[in-house]
Amino acid sequence: MSTQVHGRGLSGPRRSGPRAGRLVAAAGAAALVFSAGLATPLDPAPRRAAAAEGDSVLTVAVAQSVDSLSPFLAQRLVSTSIHRLMYEYLTNYDPKDNHAVPGLATRWESSPDKLTWTYTIRSDSKWSDGQQATAQDAAWTFNKMMTDEGAATANGSFVGNFEKVTAPSPTQLVIQLKKPQATMTALDVPIVPKHVWEKVGDFSKFNNDKSFPVVGNGPFVLTDYKPDSYVRLKPNKDFWRGAPKFDELVVRYYKDQDAAVAALRKGEVSFVAGSPSLTPAQAASLKNEKNIRVNDAPGRRFYALATNPGAKAKNGQKFGDGDPSLLDARVRHALFQAVDRKTVIDKVFQGHAVEGQGYIPPRFSQYFWKPSASQELAYDPEKAGRLLDQAGYKKNSAGKRLGKDGKPITYRVLCHATDPNDKAVGQYLTEWWGELGIGVTLDCLDNVTDPWLAGTYDLAFDGWSVNPDPDFVLSIHTCAALPATPKVTGATDNFVCDKRYDDLYARQLAEYDPAKRATIVKQMESRLYDLGYMNVMAYPNAVEAYRTDQIKSIRTMPSAAGNIYGQDGYWSWWSAVPAASDGSSDDSGSTGIVIGGVVLAVILVGAGGFVALRRRSTADDRE
Amino acid sequence: MTTDTPARVTETGPRALARQRRRRSVVRFWTRYRTHRAGLAGLAALILFALVALTAPLTVGSDVAGVTDAPGQPMESPSGAFPLGTDRFGRNLLGLLVWGSRISLLVGLLAAVLSVTIGTLVGITAGHFKGAYATVLMRVTDWFLVMPTLVLAIALATVMSRSLGTVVLAIGVTTWPTTARLVRAQTLAVESRPYIERAKALGGGHWHIMSRHVLPNVMPLVLAQATLGISTAILAEATLAFLGLGDPTVVSWGGLLQEAREAGAVSSGDWWYLVPPGIAIAAVALAFTLCGRAVESVLNPRLEVDR
Repeated sequence: MSTQVHGRGLSGPRRSGPRAGRLVAAAGAAALVFSAGLATPLDPAPRRAAAAEGDSVLTVAVAQSVDSLSPFLAQRLVSTSIHRLMYEYLTNYDPKDNHAVPGLATRWESSPDKLTWTYTIRSDSKWSDGQQATAQDAAWTFNKMMTDEGAATANGSFVGNFEKVTAPSPTQLVIQLKKPQATMTALDVPIVPKHVWEKVGDFSKFNNDKSFPVVGNGPFVLTDYKPDSYVRLKPNKDFWRGAPKFDELVVRYYKDQDAAVAALRKGEVSFVAGSPSLTPAQAASLKNEKNIRVNDAPGRRFYALATNPGAKAKNGQKFGDGDPSLLDARVRHALFQAVDRKTVIDKVFQGHAVEGQGYIPPRFSQYFWKPSASQELAYDPEKAGRLLDQAGYKKNSAGKRLGKDGKPITYRVLCHATDPNDKAVGQYLTEWWGELGIGVTLDCLDNVTDPWLAGTYDLAFDGWSVNPDPDFVLSIHTCAALPATPKVTGATDNFVCDKRYDDLYARQLAEYDPAKRATIVKQMESRLYDLGYMNVMAYPNAVEAYRTDQIKSIRTMPSAAGNIYGQDGYWSWWSAVPAASDGSSDDSGSTGIVIGGVVLAVILVGAGGFVALRRRSTADDRE
Repeated sequence: MTTDTPARVTETGPRALARQRRRRSVVRFWTRYRTHRAGLAGLAALILFALVALTAPLTVGSDVAGVTDAPGQPMESPSGAFPLGTDRFGRNLLGLLVWGSRISLLVGLLAAVLSVTIGTLVGITAGHFKGAYATVLMRVTDWFLVMPTLVLAIALATVMSRSLGTVVLAIGVTTWPTTARLVRAQTLAVESRPYIERAKALGGGHWHIMSRHVLPNVMPLVLAQATLGISTAILAEATLAFLGLGDPTVVSWGGLLQEAREAGAVSSGDWWYLVPPGIAIAAVALAFTLCGRAVESVLNPRLEVDR
């Protein structure tokens, strides 16, 4: 499961055309600039989903639209989160410490040769159409992904190493592997009902949005879906772990985060998940609000600066036009040593993040690694300058560093136009690297995917959500993830390919002892750090907010200090308890509206004055 | 008339006469302009804005846009040290407002000049040459006229790299059709006058007719159109920057609004981040409109009688 937040592909389409279109429609005379900004809070936002009177509805505002409801295709965080609710996976993660707990499987064991895994499937899980969920369904799901390329789009990486999957009995699933694989208790693959899905023709086209309710066996059943608008789910009363407490769950898509926050203030939504998190200003103002709780938890994401290592394909063909000076590790280290991570935390994230060190966030303590004092690329601009001098990139008389071709170095930094943090950090980079004598061009694009895949960038803002099992985020830097040819898309993040890293990757995947595996993973992080292609600047917190007069309690993950939206499991929405009285406190004192009113008034007064003046002047002239 | 005047006229010829005539018409223009109180207010506001923008390097300096040594904490509310508070980097918003005026005014002026130049060129040639050439040109103009300007500008700004030049170009090439239509109408009116026929009979070529006879006659119209165009261009620049299509490293009023929105200032009520750049845009656009209207009615007295 790729729960990518920042990287290419997913955040690109996060906010696209329709938004601009709507703003254009709102464009009018002098008030245009304002009305465009404030149209959203003033919008008569869609009322809370019309449900039967007295039903408790949990409305979640998300900043992503659903890419597909088919578990074989969906890659965005919002879609995979919904699939967690619709379908059971073989295993789940414990909300306290992320260890594997029973899901559809109640027990699992591996053979002594580590190549055969046997799962016992529970007999108390039924599909929502009344049929029993069996090992047959699981075997069919995996076999489909192994044989049909269209079905392997989203989760194919999980079955790449599978030899054979069989279901000898309704309660027994046997998976035979080609090579040992340590991630067998972290198979994030939704198991779908065979009797429904075997009628599907083309898996690469079917989006699972034709007939409702969608047959599933998770804690919720999907009952309604409107693209780019909402997803509606009803609780599964027969869910084996117990039915959810809310009568309805609605996941509503808000293009504009400020609009979602305004809706939360008015009580139109119960929960706001940021994109990727609420801004510091939003969090600060929501903290003072009655009946709203801000959840500021250590995040599972890292926020990094990726370097183009010279894009190439598996067949050895090179493409893209990354700056050749970046192939020198000293240059990469110098660049990162000129990045003051503390300022990034203090000013850009305003404390809602933790300073970056290793590749995996400290929240996953067993895998968290940090560089030793001698290894660390601490903030030291002078040392960075010396390093560049040593590498042969000297300053000219104008203070600009010259590349090997004798021209001043200017790096293109790819940034997401939709992410304010990228732009803010980009401005700092421009000044920090400017001091070093290196020019920066910020390429802020709505769609970063194209230059990213083509390798036509020098550096880029990058970030991924890390799963409890780090295999996926580690795998995207192996040579095996490179695209087969420059024409196709590979699983690779930014074309890193390093022999030593690959060897370590293979070793950790074959290691079944958690402690030993963790040691190897840390060695991989160390190697990645030294390579300098992925420089982690920060681990952003998950900053989200919900109404306490609608949600009485909700489980975070990890339970001590964890996030609510985008969990590795269905714990939050499954555990949410509605507040006794559905507080319909429609406080009209929404500041957005107040500001909008003030600005509008100013414009009206201005325009009025203008008209009056003109009237008078013409009247004068007539006399 | 003094005795030495005829001598001077014979000495410097028609040039001095022309200068005198021009001076007289400027004085006449100013006397009439003075009667428009709204126009005077707009002019005063414009002079003020121009002064602020031109003296910005002395009053605030380019350091005000630097993020690394921003003086304050992020999102501070207005105080003695920061009369308009600080932005998300902790920069002084009053300073940014002053500094941003340079870009907003510059882009507005350049885009308006570009737009009016294209419009005049198209209008005069279409009015002068007529025939198939004019038909084709005017159909192109019509096409641009019915295209939603903003959509076209957004499309242009998206495909080109993000820089000031792009924004100027995007606004300039999308707002010229109105000028072209007006100028063509005026050109047709001017060319139907008998003296043009005389000039032709005396051997005046296309270039001579267009540059010596038509252009001076449509110039007042162009001038008024340019003044009005600047306010449109400033608004368009702010809109594009607000939609995130400007250069994110350049401080402009629209860019400030966009930053404020991204930082979540709208929903958290940090009005000092939103309101000042908004009012500044409105004020400058209003000032240019007032001036433009006044110029228009001075140059074209019929406008007032009709009203």
